[in-house]
Amino acid sequence: MHIGKWAVLLSVFWCLLSGYFQPLLLAFGLVSVAIVLVVLKRMDDVDQAPKQVRSGHRMFRYTIWLVGQIFSSSAHVTKLVWGNPDKVSPALAKIPVKNIPAGNRVLYANSITLTPGTLSVDLEEDSVTVHALQKSSIEELEQGSMERKITGIWGENK
Amino acid sequence: MFVLDIISSVLLVAGVFFGLSGAIGLFKFPDFFTRVHAASVTDSIAAILIISGLLLQTSFDLNTAKLIFIFFFLMITSPTASHALAKSARHGGLLSMAERKTSDNSNTQENQH
Repeated sequence: MHIGKWAVLLSVFWCLLSGYFQPLLLAFGLVSVAIVLVVLKRMDDVDQAPKQVRSGHRMFRYTIWLVGQIFSSSAHVTKLVWGNPDKVSPALAKIPVKNIPAGNRVLYANSITLTPGTLSVDLEEDSVTVHALQKSSIEELEQGSMERKITGIWGENK
Repeated sequence: MFVLDIISSVLLVAGVFFGLSGAIGLFKFPDFFTRVHAASVTDSIAAILIISGLLLQTSFDLNTAKLIFIFFFLMITSPTASHALAKSARHGGLLSMAERKTSDNSNTQENQH
């Protein structure tokens, strides 16, 4: 069933990327979609964890919030770049990720990297090692507004 | 569309400014991990600003869709690349400044004893 959804998604993606609708090129698109679907089917058989197609509205809400976060922390790092470099006081810390559903931990680690000033160095079973340009960013992460945002949108880990 | 052009140029100029800041930080910051932070300014905010500036330059057709795709793929791939760099540096045994300070202190203490 989810193969069918992927077929629709990939076809739409292909049409948007190409923008040509001659029969020959559409046939090429069909062939490439078919190849991807065959590979997808075989990979699902191997890893037994088929990836469902979901509507992106939760991701969309999260992206908007994340872009806001990126703006504020970028301004901070830019100030450090143009100011005195001695103010940089890097810190390392382990942030627990027990509350976040397993499928969203990568998203959490990627969001940490994406916001300037913090960098996820290592993602383990139940914690992520974070390197920060300043200790205050670590404290901000420990207060957990990003964690709450993710668990608020996707639910807590059971 | 005069207004859109102005907004788009403001976004593009701001994007260029942050890209430049990232590049300067890359040279100014003291060690590997802090330099990755500087690069991530270019990765994230400069990319967002420049792509949204370019979005306003399109006539809202297929090119708009392509730019949005580029935006989403950049948001996925650039932190993954930074993470891969940092992780391999750490697993290769590179210490960050914070850790080096503490290990230096413990070394000198051991020498004194």
